[in-house]
Amino acid sequence: MGAYNVNESNKALDGIKIIDFTHFVAGPYCTKLFAGFGATVIKIEKLEGDAQRNELHGSNISFLWLNTGKESITLDLKTRWGREKAKSLIADADLVVENFSPGVMYRLGLGFEELKKNNPDLIMVSISNFGQTGPYRDYKAEEIQLGAISGLMDNTGDADREPLTSGPKLNQYTAGLHAYLAAMLALQQRGQGEAGRGETGQLIDISIMESSMELIENRIHGFLAEGTLAKRGPHLFAPWGNYACKDGYATVIGAPFRHWATGVSVFESPELGQEKYFQLHNRIEDRKSIDEIIKTWASKKEKKEIFKSGQENGLSFGYVETLSEVNHSVQHHSRQFFETISHPMSGPQPYCGAPFKMSATPWKSFKAPLLGEQNKKFGISYRHQDHEVEVLI
Amino acid sequence: MSKGNDQDHRNRAPLEGVRVIDMTHSWAGPHCTRLLADYGAEVIRIEYPQRMCFFRGGKVDNKAYDKQTSWQQINRNKYSVALDLNNEIDSQMLRDLVAQSDVFISNSRPHVMRQLGFDYKSLKSYRPEIIMLSMTAFGETGPFANYCAYGAVMEGVSGIQSLTAYEPEGVPQRIREMDVTNGIGGAAAVVTALYYRQRTGRGQFIDLSQMELPTHALIGEQLLQVAIKGEHDAPIGNRSNKIAPHGCYPCSGEDSWITIAIRTNTEWLVFCDMLGQKHLASDSRFRSNKNRLENQDQLTNIIIAWSQEQNNQTLQNQLQTGGICATAVNTVADLVNDPHLKARQYFMQIESEANDSNATAQKMVGLPFRMNNTRRTVKRAPQLGEHNQCIGKQVLRRKEADIPLLNESTVGTAYDVY
Repeated sequence: MGAYNVNESNKALDGIKIIDFTHFVAGPYCTKLFAGFGATVIKIEKLEGDAQRNELHGSNISFLWLNTGKESITLDLKTRWGREKAKSLIADADLVVENFSPGVMYRLGLGFEELKKNNPDLIMVSISNFGQTGPYRDYKAEEIQLGAISGLMDNTGDADREPLTSGPKLNQYTAGLHAYLAAMLALQQRGQGEAGRGETGQLIDISIMESSMELIENRIHGFLAEGTLAKRGPHLFAPWGNYACKDGYATVIGAPFRHWATGVSVFESPELGQEKYFQLHNRIEDRKSIDEIIKTWASKKEKKEIFKSGQENGLSFGYVETLSEVNHSVQHHSRQFFETISHPMSGPQPYCGAPFKMSATPWKSFKAPLLGEQNKKFGISYRHQDHEVEVLI
Repeated sequence: MSKGNDQDHRNRAPLEGVRVIDMTHSWAGPHCTRLLADYGAEVIRIEYPQRMCFFRGGKVDNKAYDKQTSWQQINRNKYSVALDLNNEIDSQMLRDLVAQSDVFISNSRPHVMRQLGFDYKSLKSYRPEIIMLSMTAFGETGPFANYCAYGAVMEGVSGIQSLTAYEPEGVPQRIREMDVTNGIGGAAAVVTALYYRQRTGRGQFIDLSQMELPTHALIGEQLLQVAIKGEHDAPIGNRSNKIAPHGCYPCSGEDSWITIAIRTNTEWLVFCDMLGQKHLASDSRFRSNKNRLENQDQLTNIIIAWSQEQNNQTLQNQLQTGGICATAVNTVADLVNDPHLKARQYFMQIESEANDSNATAQKMVGLPFRMNNTRRTVKRAPQLGEHNQCIGKQVLRRKEADIPLLNESTVGTAYDVY
C-alpha cells in the first residue's frame, strides 16, 4: 500500500488533465463527465467559440449544460502559434478528446502519431459520426440520420406509420457516454502498464453509428442467431405500455410475472383476474380484450394514482412525466439530484447533478466557462467579452 | 506483467485482473457487466436457479434457458455460478468469492442484498477495498426507493418519453434504450471507482438510480431549458423547427425509408438538382430556409413523389456523394449486410472450443468503440452453473466435494406462476 498517495483529495479523477477539442454534443458530454469527477478539462475553442454557444435560432442553454466545470481558452488552430500552443498543452496532458470530422486533427498537424512524439503515454479519443475509416467516413449526418443508419429509428413509432426519430439527441449523447467509458478504460489500462515506455497510451475510435447499435443489441443478435426481424409497434408482452388516463399517460406493466396473480386485483376486474391470465402466453394471446379493459380502467384515474396502486400491489407501474414535473419530482428532490449552478447568462439555475452517487468521490460541478475565460492564465492574448454576458431571459 | 512490445499490448485488455461478482438480472445490470467482460474483466454471474433471469426465458425443457438469444448477447464473455443463497453452504461460497473480488454489482431493490447478507457493509467486512455498484430503479433512498421498474417505466417516469411523438399532442413513443443507457452508465461508474482505487487503494459504494442516470445522459439540457425558459419545444415527429426539409420519406419496397436533412441554401440547390427539379431552386416558396419551413407540407409531397420510386440504400449513397445529409432507415438485416460495417470489421467471430454447439450465433454484435491497443474477443455466454466447479477449484482452491453443484431438478423460470 506504500505507493499510494496519502494526500489524495476526494476527487475520483484528481490530477487528470484533458485537452478538449470537442464541440456540439457528444464530445462535450464526455468531457463534462470528466470535469464533474474532478479532472482538469481545458476546452480549446475557435475564436468565435463552440457553435453550441450560438445554436441556430436556438439558445445556448445546451452549451451551459454540456460544458460545466471546464476551462475555456481560444486558439486559432489555423495559425502556427495556435497549433504550437495546443501541442505544448498536450505534451503533459493525459487525454486529448476531439470530435472534428475525420482527418481534421491530422491536417492540423495534431494527429495521434505526431502528438505521441512529445507524449508517449497519451490517450486520444476521437468521436465521429461513422468512425475514422470505412466508406461512410465522410458522410454527413444530423441526429435523425444517426438514428436511421444505426437501426435504432426502425424500432420507434407505430407499425403503420413512418419510423420516428427520438426527441432527445440520443445517438450523440450515447456516444458521449461511451467516450467517457472508453477513456476511463484506457486510463485503467495505462495505470497497469509501465508509464513512459510509449506503450501505454492508445487511440480510441468512436463511431456514433456503432455506439448506437448497442441500443438494439438484442435485435441484432436475434437476427444473427435466428434471422428474426421484429417490427416496431407494441411490446411483445401484455400488458406492457402506456394508457391514456385523466391527466396524461400511465405505464401499466404486467410484471414481475410472479406478482401478476396477486397484483391483478388492482384492476378490480373479474375478467382480468381469471386464472387463465396467470399465464403470460394467455395474456399475450388475448391482448386486445385485456387492452380494452385496462383502457377503460385507466381513463377514470390519474397517472400517479395508477403508478402508486400498481407498485403497492407488487407490479411495476409507472407514468409519463412532463419535463416541468421532472424538475419538481419528489424523488429527485429527496435525493438532491439537482444542484444549483450560477452563470452570468442565466443566474442560478437547477442542473442535474451526479449521474451516479459515489460515496468516497462525489460529483461536483461548476458553471460553464465564458469564451476564453482562462486565456490570461494560459498566456493567450485574445479577448472575448462583449457578446458574452447577455442575459438569456 | 509483460515487458511489452506492440503485440503483447494488443493481447491485453483494460480490465485484465479485475474480478467482478455479478448479482444482476434482466438487462441494465447484465449490460453493464457485459461491457466490463468485453473489455477484459472476469465477470462471475451468480445465478439463482430456482428463479432464473428473465432473459433465460420461460422454458426448462432441453435446457432451453441456455439457448435464449438475448441471454447469449447480454451475457457473452461471462462465467456462471449457480447458487441458492438461502443455503448457508452456497452463501459461504459467495462470501469466499467476494473476499477475492474487486467489484460487486447488483440491480435489485435496496433491501434484497441486505436480506441476503451482501449489502456494502457486509461486503466490506469480507473485502475492505471492494467497490459496490447498486443499480436500483429509483436509487437507494427517497419515497420511490422500494419500487421496482423495467425500462418502459424508466423512460416515462424520467420524462424522456415525453419528448418523442409524431405530433405535439401525440401519444408519447418509446425510444427503448433505458436499460442499455443505464448499463453503460454503470460500467462508467465502476471504471471511475477502479481508477480511484488504483491510486488510493480505497473502494467505495456507488448508488446509481436508473431514473437519474438516463435523465443526466439524455435530457439534462431540456430540463435546464425548462428551468430557464419555463417551457421546451414540443415534439414534432421527424421535422425540425430549425431547418427544412428534415424528415423521413418512403422509398420503394415495403416499410423502406430514407431520412434527409437540408441544412443550407447551398445544399438546397444541390438537392433540387438531384431531385431532377432544378426549377425548384428559383421557386419562391422554397428559396430560403424560412420559406422552406413555412411550406413544409408542399415540400414533403414533392420529396415523397420522388423518393418512393427509389431504393433507399442506393439513394443514401447517391445523396451523400453529392454532399447531402441523408441516410437509409436501416433494419437489422441491412446492418448485417452494410458495406461500411464490413469494411470496419464491426462484427466479430465467436471464439469457441471444437464441437461446442452452445452458441446461438457465430457472428456477434461488435464492440461500441475501438481501442487500438486492446484485445477484442468474444466468447459465448455461459450455461447455467457452468463454472461452479472451475471457479470453486481455481479461484477458491476448494476440493470438488466442497463445491455446491447445480441441482437441475430445482430449476425454475421467472415466467412461472407462483
